[in-house]
Amino acid sequence: MKKIMMKGTEAIGEAAIIAGCRNFFGYPITPQNELTEYMARRLPEVGGCFLQAESEVAAVNMIYGAASVGKRAMTSTSSPGFSLMQEGISYIACAQLPAVFVNVVRGGPGLGDIQPSQGDYFQATKGGGHGDYRLIVLAPSTVQEAVTLTELAFELADKYRNPALILADGLLGQMMEPVEIEEKQVSYDNSSWALTGAKDRPPRKVTSFNIDPYGLEKMNLQLQEKYRKMEQEEPRWEEFQTEDAEILLAAYGTVGRICKSVVKIAREAGLKVGLFRPITLYPYPYSPLEELAKRVSMILTVEMSSGQMLEDVKLAALRLTRIEFYGRMAGVVPTPGEIFEHLMQLVRRR
Amino acid sequence: MAKNKVFLGLYGSGKTEISINFAMKNRGDGTQVAIADVDVTASYFRVREFKHMLEQNGIRVLAPAEAFMKADLPLIDASVIGYLQNPDYLVVLDVGGDEKGSIVLGSLKEYLSDADVYFVVNVRRPFCETAEKICGHIERIQRAASIKVKYLVNNSNLASQTTVDVVKEGEEIVKEVSKMMSIPVAFNVVAEPLEYKGEFETFRIKRYLIGKEEPS
Repeated sequence: MKKIMMKGTEAIGEAAIIAGCRNFFGYPITPQNELTEYMARRLPEVGGCFLQAESEVAAVNMIYGAASVGKRAMTSTSSPGFSLMQEGISYIACAQLPAVFVNVVRGGPGLGDIQPSQGDYFQATKGGGHGDYRLIVLAPSTVQEAVTLTELAFELADKYRNPALILADGLLGQMMEPVEIEEKQVSYDNSSWALTGAKDRPPRKVTSFNIDPYGLEKMNLQLQEKYRKMEQEEPRWEEFQTEDAEILLAAYGTVGRICKSVVKIAREAGLKVGLFRPITLYPYPYSPLEELAKRVSMILTVEMSSGQMLEDVKLAALRLTRIEFYGRMAGVVPTPGEIFEHLMQLVRRR
Repeated sequence: MAKNKVFLGLYGSGKTEISINFAMKNRGDGTQVAIADVDVTASYFRVREFKHMLEQNGIRVLAPAEAFMKADLPLIDASVIGYLQNPDYLVVLDVGGDEKGSIVLGSLKEYLSDADVYFVVNVRRPFCETAEKICGHIERIQRAASIKVKYLVNNSNLASQTTVDVVKEGEEIVKEVSKMMSIPVAFNVVAEPLEYKGEFETFRIKRYLIGKEEPS
């Protein structure tokens, strides 16, 4: 397999095509325009449909439509655009349809800026739209991993008939790295529920609407059952040099990879530091983090946000160890050096 | 050789990296150099992010005013036209990717009539696997930019994973493009510490835009 140089956004696009996605509806927003452009160029080559919608609200509803007929569909956007899509995502989750979303997060809140950020963690993992629903949230930290996780996003979305989200950030979206993308034969069968025309079978209904509260509660219970199953079966994470770690860094995505450098610097300075990097942000890998928390003297959570994932770290590790936080916001990317310096201050304060 | 140099190519072909190195090399040789960031498409990894380093090396950086540097607005600093006409300065123009980025050259066209226009190719980027595809891009971008490409540049690479074979493979494909379009090849780009001697001149560069690769 030949390696090529790809931006994170392009790699996500190509991986989606490999995963059988032939429907992409999107609306431009920086810093993810390379993905929409890539799909605009690539999808016609493979007999797919690229459509630039008139807004994010339109795009998410086009996804709803394509998913209803059982087709693999994807859209991508960046923070303010993802906010606009929330209503539609809630509908799709309630209607139990598979679809893949990509949020290349930028600095916020509000219109913010166009630099990389992780400020949309709460929105992604705790339900950005209304109602009791969850998204499957995958957070790549390299361009190669963006490929793997995009393919996985389509699989999990189908498996659970639930929308899945690739939560990237501007840096991962824009940086180029050598990647290998393997051609695969993908087959998926949505014939048991997709709206394909009711000839010779009873009609089916895709809806997120039920005026009977008991009926709607039953739909909700089905969703909850599904989420419990995801929480059992799907948590994914990476541990880096945790075997003998006395201090643990917890970070995801771009910051996860920055923290790998911090681990290296710290070990050169004689500190036994390891990294816990969640790959699924929902379902969050609470159990392995809880186990690690019992063995370390401190967990330092590092984010490009104000301490959002920190709440999940606390859910896993509160009272088991000392929990600290370091974050930059609004599009500022922390350097390994500054994280290490902060870590050293904390170590000295012990 | 003309005093104004323009680097064109698809997104991520290496225009910015080569522009910076080109400016640094010429400044090192004692020439007065200005580098113009006329990239109106990319949101990150632009010349303006290296302003401080370039200025410390005595290079004039022509980029949007500080207050707008991080905006995704299609801004071109007004001083660019002055430097393009100033005979004392070698000017390197780092243009945005693809025809959308190259379209800005239309507005600078009358100052670029004798410029050296380079088309940068990395055959390990999407949509650049064959000579035919690359010829198509050159034609498209020439039309959008209203400018003729004078030279081809082989910048085939996989960042730190580049091998001699990758450069060689690029050289072969670029040679084919050269024949098909009757455009000469200016040089092969070879980043430190790789050693490669090919059929064309070697332009040795340092990679400034890399530096966040995963530790093993």
